[in-house]
Amino acid sequence: MTGAHLVQAPSPSENYETFFNGLWKQNPVFVQVLGMCPTLAVTNSVRNALAMGAATLFVLVCSNMLISLVRKRVPKQVRIATYILIIATFVTIVDYLIKALSIAVYKALGPFIALIVVNCMILGRAEAFASRNPPGKAILDGLGMGLGFSFALLCLGAVREVLGAGTFLGVPLFGPRFQPWVLFLLPPGGFLTLALWLLVFRAWQSRKERKQEQWRAAA
Amino acid sequence: MNSQAPSRPPLSTADGIKMVRLLGTVSFVCGLLIVITHRGTLSAIGRNQERLTREAVAELLPGMQRQVVYSVHGGELSKGEGSDRLAGKIYAGYDASGKLLGLVMEASERGYADMIKAMYAYSPSKRCITGFKVLEMKETPGLGDKIATDKNFLENFKQLVYDPDHPIVAVKAGAKKNNWEIDAISGATISSRAVGRMLNRSIREMAPLIERNLRRIEKGE
Amino acid sequence: MPPLAPEIELRTSPHFHSNRSVEMIMRNVVYALLPLCAFSVWNFGLSALALILVSVLSCLVTEHLFCWLSRRKSSLGDWSVTITGILLALTLPPGFPLWMVAVGGFVSVGLGKMAFGGLGFNVFNPALVGRAFLQACFPTAITAYSPALAKNRFTEFIPTTFTPPFLQPPPLADWIERVRVDAFSGATPLMQQKFDKVTADWQPLFFGTVSGSAGETPALLILLCGAYLAARNFMDWRIAFSMLASAFVSGAAFHFLNPAVYPHPWFVLLSGGLMLGAVFMATDMVASPVTPTGVWIYGALMGLITVVIRNLGGLPEGVMYAILLGNAVSPLIDNLTQPRVYGVHPRRRTA
Repeated sequence: MTGAHLVQAPSPSENYETFFNGLWKQNPVFVQVLGMCPTLAVTNSVRNALAMGAATLFVLVCSNMLISLVRKRVPKQVRIATYILIIATFVTIVDYLIKALSIAVYKALGPFIALIVVNCMILGRAEAFASRNPPGKAILDGLGMGLGFSFALLCLGAVREVLGAGTFLGVPLFGPRFQPWVLFLLPPGGFLTLALWLLVFRAWQSRKERKQEQWRAAA
Repeated sequence: MNSQAPSRPPLSTADGIKMVRLLGTVSFVCGLLIVITHRGTLSAIGRNQERLTREAVAELLPGMQRQVVYSVHGGELSKGEGSDRLAGKIYAGYDASGKLLGLVMEASERGYADMIKAMYAYSPSKRCITGFKVLEMKETPGLGDKIATDKNFLENFKQLVYDPDHPIVAVKAGAKKNNWEIDAISGATISSRAVGRMLNRSIREMAPLIERNLRRIEKGE
Repeated sequence: MPPLAPEIELRTSPHFHSNRSVEMIMRNVVYALLPLCAFSVWNFGLSALALILVSVLSCLVTEHLFCWLSRRKSSLGDWSVTITGILLALTLPPGFPLWMVAVGGFVSVGLGKMAFGGLGFNVFNPALVGRAFLQACFPTAITAYSPALAKNRFTEFIPTTFTPPFLQPPPLADWIERVRVDAFSGATPLMQQKFDKVTADWQPLFFGTVSGSAGETPALLILLCGAYLAARNFMDWRIAFSMLASAFVSGAAFHFLNPAVYPHPWFVLLSGGLMLGAVFMATDMVASPVTPTGVWIYGALMGLITVVIRNLGGLPEGVMYAILLGNAVSPLIDNLTQPRVYGVHPRRRTA
């Protein structure tokens, strides 16, 4: 049996918090800095970022739900194996689905669909949340984290596509003579853009903390 | 799967059986899910892939109405996709009256970054390459990836002569003198040269084979 | 060598006190760079002047901005950011669009220097960080060279100079056709050597009247300016010397293996940015090793990498990447070459 957590009827505000925790406060990319491999590799366009975000969201929600359902039956010794098995299943499913929906997106994402299996964010949520909470909450957590992840990928993808190609979702923004910043389409551009966003987030957070400190001091 | 159980804390047989049973059940359910998805998406995936190649072939052979696929096995041509997925394929395109328009083949070569995969059209009657289309590449955006889009570069492949005595080769931008040469894109010389090598190698291998089997291909057998 | 921050001594012992300051050394480096700037303007005209001014200005503004953002005293007074600006300009093609130059200046100082904590903390030579960024972002613009000693160079700008921000520079071919004095195809001597196997004569290379980046061409002048700095002990001549010597030796090895493909070692030495890089950038005080053996290894490594990139790589020039790689390994070199303390037996370290 895992998790000594008490199981209680979740209140609406608690659900709300579970959901927004992943979306913002514990954002997997900007706060936890997890799942860097797809974050850096496939965010060179908004379309790829959205596709990767959606795929991860799907895997996260489904695996969270299934893991939460079986959480009381899984012996401690084989829990990681079980989680990985379940995650890998949904990754395979999403792989087939993307291939069926659009070969172009499938080719653009390349090996990174299969690599969702090793996205530590998903296993992290399985271990830290889904294995200790009822399915409803686990799904909410998956949704929050998955959307938070997608949001982060979108942030990176937008900067990289606008600067690197002068387009947004393939629509040209600046006319034909725009000078693309090629670097942003290449892997180093991914690192630079991520650093930029982390900078923004940290600056924003530390400002907020300072304000709170001042409030407390004033009180 | 029960090798996952660590041996250090001694486990009772009952525990072991429980683990095996759980993993077995989970594996079974997962397997079932995968099989269902696979079955459900199989036809859509097949259709997608087929449409992709058909569109590429149709783009290279404008006016094509019918397409026949040949696969190449050890220097021999056989009709149909064949079971060997690695075998070279020749897509023959025919117009409405059943006349052979041309053949489309795949070729690949190492470019500046990773392999460039492309398709090109070859007209056996004119003995020249009549079209070229990049399928997959990872060339530098803004430089090497122009081989797929640059109008002047693609103009090279409207009529690129296959001559057994002269290799197809990419020359410096603007230095093209003979119709078996390709004008490279300035600033993307390495990618352009890779295209030249790719076509040269592929056509040298395929042209004699096509010549030998031309009658068959013309009839679509 | 002065301490970069008063309480930190970066040299290995013995330590002597000298009353030189960072500010004074940096100012002297700027003096040494001024003749190069003047030559660059004479060689390439008004555009080179605009290039240098914009580059320096954008570096100064960036440094000031970062100081203001981090609520620190402005560090413009130590002259080091001026050096970064000048060096960045000297490594760019003379007609490089000014808006890209400004981007380069911002990246040089912002990413290459201030993000690490300012002067003394930068891992890489800031000017080269900026140039590497520009090379990766705008690979076409940074290889669009214009001819040296063009007609009207003092009355008109190179058409690419005033490209509107965020737009592509116009093609240069027509303009080059109109202003050139001799057969110039838009290729630097290095490019001609690499792609067409045409090796330039040594005199123009030596005196600098060839096409290339704004300040990299005059080999003789660079050496003279470097000699001034070395004579006043503002620069570690051993780094520059070992880099040049190593490039010469490895260039010679390549040349004698296959003279048809690889250029003569003198050409290796005089062409491209090797001189400028070896004298003014590899010797960056912050990013180079400080041990006596270390500086020799460091220089030799950079010379070798330069020649390897030039001869075996896809790019015609490799000095920039060689120096950046050298910067990256310099702490490692320092670590491996710690001198033995006098009178102490080398003993195996015990855990």
